[in-house]
Amino acid sequence: MADIEGSPGSSMHGVTGKEQTFAFSVASSVVPTDTTAKFDLPVDSEHKATVFKIYSFANPHMRTFHLSWISFFTCFVSTFAAAPLVPIIRDNLNLTKQDIGNAGVASVSGSILSRLCMGVVCDMLGPRYGCAFLIMLSAPTVFCMPFVSSAGGYITVRFMIGFSLATFVSCQYWMSTMFNSKIIGLVNGTAAGWGNMGGGATQLIMPLLYDVIRKTGSTPFTAWRIAFFIPGMCHVIMGILVLTLGQDLPDGNLNTLQKKGNVNKDKFSKVLWYAVTNYRTWIFVLLYGYSMGVELTTDNVIAEYFYDRFSLNLHTAGIIAASFGLANIVARPFGGFSSDYAAKKFGMRGRLWAVWILQTFGGVFCLLLGRANSLPIAVTMMILFSVGAQAACGAIFGIIPFISRRSLGIISGMTGAGGNFGSGLTQLVFFTSSRFSTSAGLSYMGVMIVCCTLPVTLVHFPQWGGMFFPASNDVDKGSEEHYYGSEWSEEEKMKGMHQTSLKFAENSKSERGRRVAPAPTPSPTPPNSTPSNV
Amino acid sequence: MANSAFLVSTVLLSCLAATCYGATISSLKETLLVTASPTPGQVVKAGEDKITVTWSYNNTFASGTDSTYKTIQVKLCYAPISQVDRAWRKTVDNLAKDKTCQFKIVAKPYSPSNNTFTWTIERDVPTATYFVRAYAFDSANEYVAFGQSTDAHKTTNLFQIQGISGRSVSIDIASICFSAFSVVSLFGFFFMEKRKAKASQQK
Repeated sequence: MADIEGSPGSSMHGVTGKEQTFAFSVASSVVPTDTTAKFDLPVDSEHKATVFKIYSFANPHMRTFHLSWISFFTCFVSTFAAAPLVPIIRDNLNLTKQDIGNAGVASVSGSILSRLCMGVVCDMLGPRYGCAFLIMLSAPTVFCMPFVSSAGGYITVRFMIGFSLATFVSCQYWMSTMFNSKIIGLVNGTAAGWGNMGGGATQLIMPLLYDVIRKTGSTPFTAWRIAFFIPGMCHVIMGILVLTLGQDLPDGNLNTLQKKGNVNKDKFSKVLWYAVTNYRTWIFVLLYGYSMGVELTTDNVIAEYFYDRFSLNLHTAGIIAASFGLANIVARPFGGFSSDYAAKKFGMRGRLWAVWILQTFGGVFCLLLGRANSLPIAVTMMILFSVGAQAACGAIFGIIPFISRRSLGIISGMTGAGGNFGSGLTQLVFFTSSRFSTSAGLSYMGVMIVCCTLPVTLVHFPQWGGMFFPASNDVDKGSEEHYYGSEWSEEEKMKGMHQTSLKFAENSKSERGRRVAPAPTPSPTPPNSTPSNV
Repeated sequence: MANSAFLVSTVLLSCLAATCYGATISSLKETLLVTASPTPGQVVKAGEDKITVTWSYNNTFASGTDSTYKTIQVKLCYAPISQVDRAWRKTVDNLAKDKTCQFKIVAKPYSPSNNTFTWTIERDVPTATYFVRAYAFDSANEYVAFGQSTDAHKTTNLFQIQGISGRSVSIDIASICFSAFSVVSLFGFFFMEKRKAKASQQK
């Protein structure tokens, strides 16, 4: 896959847009297998694996997968580690509801910036060092928690720990150096979903650690501090494993990555321009803010909610809260699967409907969760809410690769940042002031989810249509080539810089669904440009 | 450990009592007189200081009113100032849902006078402003009466407890050591690899 190394957007390199989210392997007739390479898995010409064997730890491909998702999981655990212990921490530090809410906002805000920077770091140092640097430099921030003795300190430390969520970017980047683009969708989706589970696992792990430490004789206000040593040590251990067992590329380490010459480096300002001026980018930033964003918010508030509203003990509240985050193991892949399934029949229009249905479903159940007065009903509503929100996340990333080819990396980064921003915003608006209770906050959040999902009805691709309107009948403007080609100026097209976009456009015709007569494709040589020898 | 058992049993007891019988605080008569040893505005330290609580039956009420009282529970309760912006300490009328009094000081069989108890403040009591309240239960464990060391608006005779910080020197030192190890091993590895790469390039 001839890719533009080092250019903006190349942190999503490998992603073409044609990958089925659920292809477990690529038939060797589709991608030529390099039979000279001596790897445990079949590989392509770049030595990227063409098969995804979950239970294997074979070096380097599957080992990278496991190192990567476990690092991301660890960072999720430490970012949300305080949440299930808030009932103890709030008494120790004399916190008010505002302090707790602000800390929750802080915990997701740090990573907005760090995720945007991480792409650059991975381009410069490689994903292995990117991951290791982040996870080992955020270990001291986790170890700072035992020092905290005031609300200000608590908020600051949660903000700093939140930076570690940028391991999402290193995780996805590293996967794309190791796995063929035809299965990268599944690999990345699995890694993201399993990493996100950390937000659920922590609700189980931290109360358990707290209980064990209490049993050895500690008082509550000391026990919670000691509990934080475990996530901190996991950071250090994972960092060391990544450094010693990981490698940047299938063939070895980073140094070669940047030496490849003859790259057409794209201009960052242009890539940013095409991302920002595409209205679809902003709609999906908003939508992801209300699917991933509310998932992160709920990770922060749900344990305390069940502890207070239903008078449960810390352990039980933690178990219930954990099931919210752990649903990610199936819910997010299910969302991707639904998107792909809908696309098979209805193309992009099906994908858009899938997002709308799943996210609205999630919003309705969030509203009902806030209104539920009995424990069994509340738990049921919470689980249905989690499935809706997390599946919507998966479905949204089924559409993102198609919004733009030139600016794919930046759009993915912006969407991810939008998720964190949405989380910060919902926590600030609904869970920080004392004006309404947490249960009212959940209900209002549900209403806001439904409202903020409506803009997806406005998304329209001229070549494929939107939720309510079909594709444009214009022969020229209604083609994939026109849509993706319009991101390049005439001079750029003359230089042949848009060739990968054209290739992508060709591959993306699958988004037409089962439309019988596809629009006549224009000649492979667009007017005003000579075919370049790539 | 024992505290959590007390806490759980107190919660259970009050749940059982109130959910079965739906007692509300406004329906209870304030027939007990309660005093606590800290002077108004005094700050006492959790884990170190003691408070002495005394309670007795208020004889201005008709005799025989206390004939149903069987047990007394004395509890430490949050003053309104410590409940602001903290819904987990909210006062509600329904005693089953009321979260004002979360710490049990002592439970004893009822006697009309000469009741006193000296309590070493537990180490899980947070920093806040408090008063003391005593509840009377009948033989069916139903709330029947109460008394408190402050007035009806909970503005007088409040005292402060300074909770423990929970920090300790050994935890602080361990934190610093682990953090230093993390940073040093990261940069150590990085520079070692760089040196190896340079050395192999020069070969």
